[in-house]
Amino acid sequence: MPGKKPLPQPSPLTRVFWEGTSEGKLMLPKCNACNRIHWYPRYICPHCHSMDLTWVEGSGEGTLHTFAVQHRAFGGWAEEAPYVTAYIDLKEGDRMATVLRGVDPTKPESIKIGTPVKVEFEEMDDGLFVPFWRVEDAA
Amino acid sequence: MSISKAAAIVGAAEANEIGYPDEPRTSLQLHIEAIKNVSDYTGIPISAIEGVFSTAWSSDLAEHLGLHPKYIDTTAVGGCSFEMHVHHALCAIYAGVIDVALVSHGENGWSQRRVGREGGPSYPAHRDAPGVQMTIPYGFSGPPSQYAHAMVRHNHDFGTTPEDFAHVSVVTREWAMKNPRAVMFNDETHEFGGPITIDDVNNSRLITWPLTMLHCCLQTDHGGAVLIARPEIARDLKTNPVWIAGAGESMSHSTILETDDFTATSAALSAKSAYEMAGLGPKDMESAMIYDSFTVTAAITAEMLGLAPRGDGYKLWKDGTAAPGGKLPINTNGGGLSFNHSGMYGMHLLVEAYRQLSGTAEDGINGIKGKQTNARTCVVNGTGGLLSTTGTLVLTSD
Repeated sequence: MPGKKPLPQPSPLTRVFWEGTSEGKLMLPKCNACNRIHWYPRYICPHCHSMDLTWVEGSGEGTLHTFAVQHRAFGGWAEEAPYVTAYIDLKEGDRMATVLRGVDPTKPESIKIGTPVKVEFEEMDDGLFVPFWRVEDAA
Repeated sequence: MSISKAAAIVGAAEANEIGYPDEPRTSLQLHIEAIKNVSDYTGIPISAIEGVFSTAWSSDLAEHLGLHPKYIDTTAVGGCSFEMHVHHALCAIYAGVIDVALVSHGENGWSQRRVGREGGPSYPAHRDAPGVQMTIPYGFSGPPSQYAHAMVRHNHDFGTTPEDFAHVSVVTREWAMKNPRAVMFNDETHEFGGPITIDDVNNSRLITWPLTMLHCCLQTDHGGAVLIARPEIARDLKTNPVWIAGAGESMSHSTILETDDFTATSAALSAKSAYEMAGLGPKDMESAMIYDSFTVTAAITAEMLGLAPRGDGYKLWKDGTAAPGGKLPINTNGGGLSFNHSGMYGMHLLVEAYRQLSGTAEDGINGIKGKQTNARTCVVNGTGGLLSTTGTLVLTSD
Protein backbone atom coordinates (compact mmCIF):
# COMPACT_ATOMS: atom_id res chain seq x y z
CA MET A 1 0.00 0.00 0.00
CA PRO A 2 1.50 3.33 -0.99
CA GLY A 3 2.30 5.71 1.86
CA LYS A 4 1.44 9.40 2.00
CA LYS A 5 3.73 11.92 0.40
CA PRO A 6 5.79 13.59 3.12
CA LEU A 7 4.86 17.19 3.82
CA PRO A 8 6.43 20.03 5.77
CA GLN A 9 5.19 21.04 9.19
CA PRO A 10 4.24 24.74 9.01
CA SER A 11 5.95 26.67 11.79
CA PRO A 12 5.78 30.25 13.12
CA LEU A 13 8.65 31.01 10.72
CA THR A 14 6.93 29.61 7.61
CA ARG A 15 3.24 30.28 8.40
CA VAL A 16 2.94 33.30 6.06
CA PHE A 17 4.33 31.27 3.17
CA TRP A 18 1.80 28.46 3.62
CA GLU A 19 -1.08 30.90 4.07
CA GLY A 20 -0.01 32.44 0.77
CA THR A 21 0.08 29.18 -1.14
CA SER A 22 -3.52 28.45 -0.06
CA GLU A 23 -4.50 31.71 -1.80
CA GLY A 24 -2.45 30.98 -4.91
CA LYS A 25 0.35 33.38 -3.95
CA LEU A 26 4.07 32.65 -3.80
CA MET A 27 5.11 34.73 -0.80
CA LEU A 28 8.84 35.39 -0.49
CA PRO A 29 10.83 36.70 2.46
CA LYS A 30 12.48 40.05 1.78
CA CYS A 31 14.89 42.18 3.78
CA ASN A 32 13.86 45.83 4.24
CA ALA A 33 17.47 46.87 4.84
CA CYS A 34 19.13 45.45 1.71
CA ASN A 35 15.97 44.81 -0.35
CA ARG A 36 17.09 41.29 -1.22
CA ILE A 37 14.92 38.18 -1.37
CA HIS A 38 16.05 35.05 0.41
CA TRP A 39 14.73 31.52 0.31
CA TYR A 40 14.03 29.72 2.73
CA PRO A 41 12.42 31.85 5.49
CA ARG A 42 14.76 33.03 8.25
CA TYR A 43 14.80 35.08 11.42
CA ILE A 44 17.68 37.17 10.08
CA CYS A 45 18.75 38.29 6.61
CA PRO A 46 21.56 35.98 5.47
CA HIS A 47 22.96 38.74 3.24
CA CYS A 48 23.18 41.78 5.56
CA HIS A 49 22.09 40.37 8.97
CA SER A 50 19.27 42.84 9.44
CA MET A 51 16.27 41.48 11.34
CA ASP A 52 13.91 43.92 9.60
CA LEU A 53 12.25 41.36 7.35
CA THR A 54 8.96 41.36 5.47
CA TRP A 55 7.06 39.23 2.94
CA VAL A 56 6.36 40.14 -0.68
CA GLU A 57 4.34 38.33 -3.32
CA GLY A 58 6.65 36.76 -5.90
CA SER A 59 6.04 36.73 -9.65
CA GLY A 60 5.87 32.93 -9.79
CA GLU A 61 8.36 33.01 -12.65
CA GLY A 62 11.77 31.43 -12.83
CA THR A 63 14.21 29.36 -14.86
CA LEU A 64 15.47 25.79 -14.59
CA HIS A 65 18.85 25.65 -12.80
CA THR A 66 19.43 21.89 -12.80
CA PHE A 67 17.40 18.68 -12.66
CA ALA A 68 17.49 14.89 -12.33
CA VAL A 69 15.11 12.01 -12.99
CA GLN A 70 14.10 9.90 -10.00
CA HIS A 71 13.78 6.25 -10.99
CA ARG A 72 13.83 4.88 -7.47
CA ALA A 73 11.32 6.39 -5.08
CA PHE A 74 9.60 5.46 -1.87
CA GLY A 75 6.34 5.89 0.02
CA GLY A 76 3.83 8.20 -1.61
CA TRP A 77 6.17 8.95 -4.49
CA ALA A 78 6.94 5.33 -5.43
CA GLU A 79 4.13 4.95 -7.94
CA GLU A 80 5.00 8.20 -9.75
CA ALA A 81 8.56 7.21 -10.71
CA PRO A 82 10.11 8.14 -13.00
CA TYR A 83 9.62 11.84 -12.29
CA VAL A 84 11.82 14.91 -12.64
CA THR A 85 13.12 16.83 -9.64
CA ALA A 86 14.66 20.24 -10.17
CA TYR A 87 16.02 23.44 -8.70
CA ILE A 88 14.50 26.69 -9.92
CA ASP A 89 16.19 30.08 -10.05
CA LEU A 90 13.49 32.55 -9.00
CA LYS A 91 13.09 35.72 -11.04
CA GLU A 92 13.45 37.62 -7.75
CA GLY A 93 16.65 35.77 -6.83
CA ASP A 94 17.57 32.63 -4.83
CA ARG A 95 16.42 29.11 -5.55
CA MET A 96 13.59 26.66 -4.83
CA ALA A 97 13.27 22.88 -5.11
CA THR A 98 10.42 21.26 -7.03
CA VAL A 99 9.07 18.29 -8.87
CA LEU A 100 9.14 19.65 -12.40
CA ARG A 101 5.96 19.43 -14.46
CA GLY A 102 5.35 19.70 -18.19
CA VAL A 103 8.39 17.56 -19.07
CA ASP A 104 8.88 13.97 -20.22
CA PRO A 105 10.93 12.04 -17.64
CA THR A 106 11.70 9.35 -20.21
CA LYS A 107 13.43 11.95 -22.43
CA PRO A 108 15.79 13.84 -20.09
CA GLU A 109 17.86 15.04 -23.04
CA SER A 110 14.82 17.08 -24.13
CA ILE A 111 14.88 19.08 -20.86
CA LYS A 112 17.01 22.22 -21.09
CA ILE A 113 18.70 24.11 -18.27
CA GLY A 114 17.66 27.76 -18.43
CA THR A 115 14.13 26.97 -19.62
CA PRO A 116 11.47 29.39 -18.23
CA VAL A 117 9.11 27.87 -15.67
CA LYS A 118 5.98 29.03 -13.84
CA VAL A 119 4.64 28.14 -10.43
CA GLU A 120 1.37 26.37 -9.71
CA PHE A 121 -0.16 25.10 -6.50
CA GLU A 122 -1.59 21.69 -5.61
CA GLU A 123 -3.68 20.87 -2.58
CA MET A 124 -2.09 17.95 -0.77
CA ASP A 125 -3.25 15.86 2.19
CA ASP A 126 -4.21 17.89 5.27
CA GLY A 127 -5.16 20.85 3.05
CA LEU A 128 -1.60 22.10 2.55
CA PHE A 129 -1.06 23.79 -0.82
CA VAL A 130 2.39 23.00 -2.19
CA PRO A 131 4.06 25.00 -5.00
CA PHE A 132 5.27 23.07 -8.06
CA TRP A 133 6.95 24.52 -11.15
CA ARG A 134 5.96 23.78 -14.74
CA VAL A 135 7.68 24.17 -18.08
CA GLU A 136 5.18 25.95 -20.30
CA ASP A 137 4.54 24.45 -23.72
CA ALA A 138 7.38 25.30 -26.06
CA ALA A 139 6.41 27.98 -28.56
CA MET B 1 56.64 25.52 17.42
CA SER B 2 54.32 25.75 14.42
CA ILE B 3 50.93 24.05 14.42
CA SER B 4 52.00 22.22 11.26
CA LYS B 5 53.19 18.77 12.36
CA ALA B 6 52.42 19.56 16.01
CA ALA B 7 50.87 16.09 16.06
CA ALA B 8 51.01 12.86 14.09
CA ILE B 9 48.64 10.04 13.31
CA VAL B 10 50.51 7.20 15.00
CA GLY B 11 48.31 4.30 13.98
CA ALA B 12 45.11 3.32 12.21
CA ALA B 13 42.98 0.20 12.37
CA GLU B 14 39.64 -1.20 11.32
CA ALA B 15 37.01 -3.38 12.92
CA ASN B 16 37.59 -7.14 12.62
CA GLU B 17 34.80 -7.71 10.14
CA ILE B 18 33.66 -5.04 7.67
CA GLY B 19 31.66 -5.08 4.46
CA TYR B 20 28.60 -7.33 4.35
CA PRO B 21 29.13 -9.62 7.36
CA ASP B 22 27.07 -12.80 7.74
CA GLU B 23 26.27 -12.01 11.34
CA PRO B 24 24.81 -8.51 11.83
CA ARG B 25 27.09 -6.09 13.68
CA THR B 26 26.24 -2.97 15.66
CA SER B 27 27.85 0.42 15.21
CA LEU B 28 29.19 0.33 18.76
CA GLN B 29 30.79 -3.06 18.16
CA LEU B 30 32.51 -1.69 15.03
CA HIS B 31 33.81 1.29 17.05
CA ILE B 32 35.13 -0.80 19.92
CA GLU B 33 36.90 -3.39 17.77
CA ALA B 34 38.67 -0.67 15.81
CA ILE B 35 39.69 1.12 19.01
CA LYS B 36 41.02 -2.10 20.56
CA ASN B 37 42.92 -2.87 17.35
CA VAL B 38 44.54 0.55 17.07
CA SER B 39 45.54 0.41 20.73
CA ASP B 40 47.18 -3.00 20.21
CA TYR B 41 48.82 -1.79 16.98
CA THR B 42 50.39 1.33 18.51
CA GLY B 43 51.01 0.02 22.02
CA ILE B 44 49.13 3.02 23.41
CA PRO B 45 46.77 1.73 26.12
CA ILE B 46 43.15 2.81 25.82
CA SER B 47 43.50 4.31 29.30
CA ALA B 48 46.04 6.83 27.90
CA ILE B 49 43.45 8.42 25.58
CA GLU B 50 42.78 11.99 26.72
CA GLY B 51 40.57 13.26 23.91
CA VAL B 52 37.63 11.44 22.29
CA PHE B 53 36.43 12.59 18.86
CA SER B 54 33.57 10.86 17.05
CA THR B 55 30.19 11.41 15.43
CA ALA B 56 28.58 9.06 17.91
CA TRP B 57 27.80 10.82 21.17
CA SER B 58 31.41 10.87 22.26
CA SER B 59 30.37 10.81 25.90
CA ASP B 60 28.55 7.49 25.30
CA LEU B 61 31.63 6.12 23.61
CA ALA B 62 34.00 7.33 26.35
CA GLU B 63 31.70 5.86 28.98
CA HIS B 64 31.68 2.48 27.23
CA LEU B 65 35.49 2.58 27.34
CA GLY B 66 35.51 3.64 31.00
CA LEU B 67 37.36 6.84 30.13
CA HIS B 68 37.23 10.28 31.77
CA PRO B 69 38.62 12.37 28.91
CA LYS B 70 39.81 15.97 29.12
CA TYR B 71 38.46 16.78 25.66
CA ILE B 72 35.14 15.57 24.22
CA ASP B 73 34.07 16.39 20.65
CA THR B 74 30.93 15.17 18.86
CA THR B 75 31.27 17.15 15.65
CA ALA B 76 28.78 15.38 13.36
CA VAL B 77 28.34 17.23 10.08
CA GLY B 78 28.39 14.26 7.73
CA GLY B 79 31.10 12.11 6.23
CA CYS B 80 33.82 14.77 6.49
CA SER B 81 33.48 14.93 10.28
CA PHE B 82 36.54 12.69 10.76
CA GLU B 83 38.86 14.99 8.84
CA MET B 84 37.52 17.79 11.04
CA HIS B 85 38.13 15.66 14.14
CA VAL B 86 41.79 15.36 13.12
CA HIS B 87 41.92 19.14 12.66
CA HIS B 88 40.37 19.65 16.11
CA ALA B 89 42.69 17.10 17.73
CA LEU B 90 45.70 18.81 16.15
CA CYS B 91 44.54 22.13 17.62
CA ALA B 92 43.94 20.59 21.06
CA ILE B 93 47.37 18.96 21.12
CA TYR B 94 49.08 22.09 19.80
CA ALA B 95 47.35 24.12 22.53
CA GLY B 96 48.74 21.75 25.14
CA VAL B 97 45.35 20.57 26.39
CA ILE B 98 45.88 16.88 25.56
CA ASP B 99 48.71 14.57 24.45
CA VAL B 100 46.79 11.65 22.91
CA ALA B 101 43.56 11.79 20.91
CA LEU B 102 41.27 9.07 19.59
CA VAL B 103 39.20 9.59 16.44
CA SER B 104 36.75 6.74 16.09
CA HIS B 105 34.05 5.61 13.70
CA GLY B 106 31.60 2.72 13.70
CA GLU B 107 28.61 2.56 11.39
CA ASN B 108 26.64 -0.50 10.44
CA GLY B 109 25.35 0.82 7.13
CA TRP B 110 24.52 -2.76 6.13
CA SER B 111 23.57 -4.51 9.39
CA GLN B 112 21.36 -1.70 10.68
CA ARG B 113 18.50 -3.11 8.62
CA ARG B 114 18.55 -6.16 10.90
CA VAL B 115 19.85 -4.98 14.27
CA GLY B 116 19.19 -1.24 14.42
CA ARG B 117 21.75 1.49 14.92
CA GLU B 118 23.03 0.93 18.48
CA GLY B 119 25.89 3.34 19.09
CA GLY B 120 25.42 4.82 15.65
CA PRO B 121 26.15 8.26 14.35
CA SER B 122 24.12 11.18 15.59
CA TYR B 123 23.98 12.58 12.04
CA PRO B 124 21.65 13.42 10.34
CA ALA B 125 19.26 14.95 12.82
CA HIS B 126 17.96 18.14 11.32
CA ARG B 127 14.71 17.26 9.57
CA ASP B 128 13.03 20.20 11.29
CA ALA B 129 15.48 22.79 9.92
CA PRO B 130 13.46 25.27 7.83
CA GLY B 131 15.59 24.73 4.72
CA VAL B 132 15.14 20.97 4.91
CA GLN B 133 11.40 21.44 5.42
CA MET B 134 11.22 23.26 2.09
CA THR B 135 12.63 20.26 0.19
CA ILE B 136 10.45 17.64 1.90
CA PRO B 137 7.42 17.78 -0.47
CA TYR B 138 9.41 17.05 -3.62
CA GLY B 139 10.06 13.33 -3.74
CA PHE B 140 13.78 13.32 -2.98
CA SER B 141 14.99 10.14 -1.29
CA GLY B 142 18.59 9.24 -0.48
CA PRO B 143 21.77 11.05 -1.48
CA PRO B 144 21.71 9.79 -5.13
CA SER B 145 18.45 11.67 -5.63
CA GLN B 146 20.30 14.92 -4.90
CA TYR B 147 23.84 14.35 -6.21
CA ALA B 148 22.46 13.62 -9.68
CA HIS B 149 21.60 17.32 -9.95
CA ALA B 150 25.31 18.13 -9.59
CA MET B 151 26.29 15.87 -12.47
CA VAL B 152 23.62 17.36 -14.74
CA ARG B 153 24.82 20.87 -14.01
CA HIS B 154 28.49 19.87 -14.47
CA ASN B 155 27.58 18.35 -17.85
CA HIS B 156 25.85 21.61 -18.78
CA ASP B 157 28.60 23.97 -17.61
CA PHE B 158 31.68 22.04 -18.76
CA GLY B 159 30.42 19.83 -21.59
CA THR B 160 31.16 16.65 -19.66
CA THR B 161 29.14 13.45 -19.94
CA PRO B 162 28.12 10.69 -17.53
CA GLU B 163 30.57 8.45 -19.44
CA ASP B 164 33.41 10.78 -18.44
CA PHE B 165 32.58 10.22 -14.80
CA ALA B 166 32.27 6.45 -15.31
CA HIS B 167 36.08 6.34 -15.55
CA VAL B 168 36.22 7.15 -11.83
CA SER B 169 34.25 3.99 -11.12
CA VAL B 170 36.33 1.77 -13.42
CA VAL B 171 39.72 2.94 -12.11
CA THR B 172 38.63 2.82 -8.48
CA ARG B 173 37.60 -0.81 -9.06
CA GLU B 174 41.16 -1.52 -10.26
CA TRP B 175 42.40 -0.39 -6.84
CA ALA B 176 39.76 -2.51 -5.08
CA MET B 177 41.14 -5.56 -6.88
CA LYS B 178 44.37 -5.02 -4.90
CA ASN B 179 42.60 -4.93 -1.54
CA PRO B 180 41.34 -8.27 -0.17
CA ARG B 181 39.19 -6.34 2.35
CA ALA B 182 37.36 -4.57 -0.48
CA VAL B 183 33.79 -5.73 -0.98
CA MET B 184 34.37 -5.73 -4.76
CA PHE B 185 37.85 -7.37 -4.59
CA ASN B 186 36.84 -10.27 -6.84
CA ASP B 187 33.87 -12.45 -7.79
CA GLU B 188 34.27 -14.46 -4.58
CA THR B 189 33.94 -11.46 -2.27
CA HIS B 190 30.89 -10.27 -4.18
CA GLU B 191 28.98 -11.64 -7.15
CA PHE B 192 29.56 -8.36 -8.98
CA GLY B 193 33.19 -8.01 -7.82
CA GLY B 194 36.26 -7.94 -10.07
CA PRO B 195 36.94 -5.81 -13.13
CA ILE B 196 34.32 -3.55 -14.68
CA THR B 197 34.13 -1.59 -17.93
CA ILE B 198 32.66 1.78 -18.93
CA ASP B 199 29.79 -0.15 -20.53
CA ASP B 200 29.14 -1.94 -17.23
CA VAL B 201 28.82 1.45 -15.50
CA ASN B 202 26.56 2.85 -18.23
CA ASN B 203 24.36 -0.23 -18.30
CA SER B 204 23.96 -0.82 -14.57
CA ARG B 205 20.60 -0.12 -12.99
CA LEU B 206 19.41 3.49 -13.22
CA ILE B 207 18.95 5.01 -9.75
CA THR B 208 18.53 8.73 -10.45
CA TRP B 209 19.28 9.73 -14.02
CA PRO B 210 22.06 10.23 -14.93
CA LEU B 211 23.44 8.21 -12.00
CA THR B 212 23.45 4.47 -12.54
CA MET B 213 24.19 2.11 -9.66
CA LEU B 214 27.92 1.95 -10.48
CA HIS B 215 28.20 5.73 -10.15
CA CYS B 216 27.07 5.29 -6.53
CA CYS B 217 28.97 4.10 -3.45
CA LEU B 218 28.31 0.94 -1.49
CA GLN B 219 26.44 0.80 1.80
CA THR B 220 28.33 -1.49 4.13
CA ASP B 221 29.50 -1.97 7.71
CA HIS B 222 32.74 -0.25 8.62
CA GLY B 223 34.56 0.72 11.77
CA GLY B 224 37.87 2.51 11.97
CA ALA B 225 39.98 4.36 14.49
CA VAL B 226 43.14 6.44 14.49
CA LEU B 227 45.28 7.61 17.39
CA ILE B 228 46.93 11.03 17.27
CA ALA B 229 49.80 12.06 19.53
CA ARG B 230 52.26 14.87 20.05
CA PRO B 231 55.72 14.46 18.45
CA GLU B 232 57.57 13.40 21.64
CA ILE B 233 55.18 10.46 22.02
CA ALA B 234 54.96 9.67 18.30
CA ARG B 235 58.73 9.26 17.95
CA ASP B 236 58.94 6.71 20.79
CA LEU B 237 56.35 4.33 19.35
CA LYS B 238 57.00 1.19 17.32
CA THR B 239 54.69 2.46 14.56
CA ASN B 240 55.61 4.94 11.80
CA PRO B 241 54.12 8.38 12.42
CA VAL B 242 52.23 10.16 9.64
CA TRP B 243 52.48 13.89 10.18
CA ILE B 244 49.55 16.26 10.11
CA ALA B 245 51.21 18.99 8.07
CA GLY B 246 48.02 20.89 7.31
CA ALA B 247 44.34 20.85 8.22
CA GLY B 248 41.33 22.93 7.28
CA GLU B 249 37.56 22.80 7.23
CA SER B 250 34.72 24.78 5.74
CA MET B 251 31.19 24.61 4.38
CA SER B 252 29.26 26.15 1.55
CA HIS B 253 25.83 25.28 2.96
CA SER B 254 24.03 22.74 5.09
CA THR B 255 20.73 22.36 3.24
CA ILE B 256 21.10 21.64 -0.46
CA LEU B 257 18.69 24.51 -1.18
CA GLU B 258 21.55 26.85 -0.30
CA THR B 259 23.97 25.34 -2.82
CA ASP B 260 25.30 28.28 -4.73
CA ASP B 261 27.22 26.28 -7.35
CA PHE B 262 26.25 22.63 -7.96
CA THR B 263 29.63 22.02 -9.63
CA ALA B 264 31.77 23.12 -6.67
CA THR B 265 32.29 22.44 -2.98
CA SER B 266 33.90 24.23 -0.06
CA ALA B 267 36.90 21.91 -0.46
CA ALA B 268 38.46 24.86 -2.27
CA LEU B 269 38.34 26.74 1.05
CA SER B 270 39.27 23.89 3.39
CA ALA B 271 42.13 22.90 1.08
CA LYS B 272 43.42 26.48 1.01
CA SER B 273 43.66 26.44 4.81
CA ALA B 274 45.31 23.02 4.82
CA TYR B 275 47.83 23.82 2.09
CA GLU B 276 48.74 27.12 3.75
CA MET B 277 49.31 25.48 7.13
CA ALA B 278 51.47 22.82 5.47
CA GLY B 279 53.41 25.26 3.32
CA LEU B 280 52.66 22.91 0.43
CA GLY B 281 50.43 23.05 -2.64
CA PRO B 282 48.57 20.69 -4.93
CA LYS B 283 51.68 20.15 -7.08
CA ASP B 284 53.47 18.74 -4.01
CA MET B 285 50.83 16.05 -3.48
CA GLU B 286 51.95 12.55 -4.46
CA SER B 287 48.65 10.83 -3.64
CA ALA B 288 45.08 11.74 -2.72
CA MET B 289 42.22 10.22 -0.75
CA ILE B 290 39.02 11.78 -2.01
CA TYR B 291 35.48 11.14 -0.80
CA ASP B 292 33.75 9.20 -3.56
CA SER B 293 30.16 8.91 -2.44
CA PHE B 294 29.51 9.22 -6.16
CA THR B 295 31.81 9.45 -9.16
CA VAL B 296 30.82 13.09 -9.53
CA THR B 297 31.78 13.87 -5.91
CA ALA B 298 35.32 12.62 -6.45
CA ALA B 299 35.81 14.39 -9.77
CA ILE B 300 34.49 17.75 -8.55
CA THR B 301 36.55 17.48 -5.36
CA ALA B 302 39.73 16.83 -7.35
CA GLU B 303 39.06 20.15 -9.10
CA MET B 304 38.47 21.91 -5.77
CA LEU B 305 41.74 20.54 -4.36
CA GLY B 306 43.66 22.04 -7.28
CA LEU B 307 44.65 18.62 -8.63
CA ALA B 308 42.94 19.32 -11.97
CA PRO B 309 41.60 22.41 -13.77
CA ARG B 310 37.90 23.29 -13.35
CA GLY B 311 35.77 20.88 -15.34
CA ASP B 312 38.62 18.41 -15.87
CA GLY B 313 38.63 16.44 -12.61
CA TYR B 314 37.45 13.23 -14.30
CA LYS B 315 40.51 13.26 -16.57
CA LEU B 316 42.74 12.18 -13.66
CA TRP B 317 40.95 8.84 -13.81
CA LYS B 318 40.37 8.73 -17.57
CA ASP B 319 44.06 9.22 -18.42
CA GLY B 320 45.33 6.81 -15.75
CA THR B 321 46.93 9.42 -13.47
CA ALA B 322 44.85 8.15 -10.52
CA ALA B 323 45.15 4.45 -11.42
CA PRO B 324 47.57 1.83 -10.08
CA GLY B 325 50.99 2.82 -11.43
CA GLY B 326 49.81 6.36 -12.17
CA LYS B 327 51.54 9.57 -11.16
CA LEU B 328 48.90 10.58 -8.58
CA PRO B 329 47.32 7.48 -7.01
CA ILE B 330 43.80 8.23 -5.72
CA ASN B 331 41.65 6.10 -3.42
CA THR B 332 44.07 3.20 -3.24
CA ASN B 333 41.75 1.19 -0.96
CA GLY B 334 39.12 0.89 -3.69
CA GLY B 335 37.10 3.87 -2.49
CA GLY B 336 33.56 4.16 -1.31
CA LEU B 337 32.62 2.92 -4.74
CA SER B 338 34.25 -0.52 -4.42
CA PHE B 339 35.94 -0.94 -1.00
CA ASN B 340 33.42 0.02 1.70
CA HIS B 341 31.14 2.94 2.51
CA SER B 342 29.30 2.83 5.80
CA GLY B 343 27.33 6.04 5.18
CA MET B 344 29.98 8.45 6.45
CA TYR B 345 33.17 7.60 4.57
CA GLY B 346 35.67 10.00 6.15
CA MET B 347 37.32 7.46 8.46
CA HIS B 348 37.97 5.05 5.58
CA LEU B 349 40.00 7.85 3.95
CA LEU B 350 42.08 8.39 7.08
CA VAL B 351 42.88 4.70 7.57
CA GLU B 352 44.08 4.29 3.99
CA ALA B 353 46.08 7.53 4.01
CA TYR B 354 47.83 6.34 7.18
CA ARG B 355 48.59 2.94 5.65
CA GLN B 356 50.02 4.38 2.45
CA LEU B 357 52.24 6.99 4.10
CA SER B 358 53.40 4.63 6.88
CA GLY B 359 54.35 1.97 4.32
CA THR B 360 51.86 -0.60 5.67
CA ALA B 361 49.41 -0.78 2.78
CA GLU B 362 50.37 -4.36 1.85
CA ASP B 363 50.52 -6.28 5.10
CA GLY B 364 48.40 -9.21 3.94
CA ILE B 365 45.15 -7.83 5.34
CA ASN B 366 45.24 -4.43 3.76
CA GLY B 367 46.54 -5.12 0.31
CA ILE B 368 48.40 -7.27 -2.18
CA LYS B 369 51.35 -6.47 -4.38
CA GLY B 370 50.98 -3.20 -6.23
CA LYS B 371 48.77 -1.52 -3.64
CA GLN B 372 51.60 0.17 -1.74
CA THR B 373 52.61 3.40 -3.47
CA ASN B 374 55.79 5.37 -2.94
CA ALA B 375 53.87 8.56 -2.12
CA ARG B 376 55.30 10.67 0.69
CA THR B 377 52.49 13.22 0.72
CA CYS B 378 48.72 12.85 0.58
CA VAL B 379 45.84 15.27 0.44
CA VAL B 380 42.75 13.85 2.16
CA ASN B 381 39.36 15.44 1.66
CA GLY B 382 36.03 14.46 3.15
CA THR B 383 32.68 15.76 1.91
CA GLY B 384 29.66 15.78 4.21
CA GLY B 385 25.94 16.17 3.72
CA LEU B 386 24.89 17.09 0.18
CA LEU B 387 28.09 18.68 -1.18
CA SER B 388 27.81 20.68 2.04
CA THR B 389 30.70 20.45 4.50
CA THR B 390 34.35 19.63 3.85
CA GLY B 391 37.47 18.81 5.81
CA THR B 392 40.91 18.67 4.20
CA LEU B 393 44.18 17.30 5.58
CA VAL B 394 47.68 17.42 4.15
CA LEU B 395 49.58 14.42 5.52
CA THR B 396 53.27 13.62 5.08
CA SER B 397 55.49 10.65 5.87
CA ASP B 398 58.28 12.82 7.25
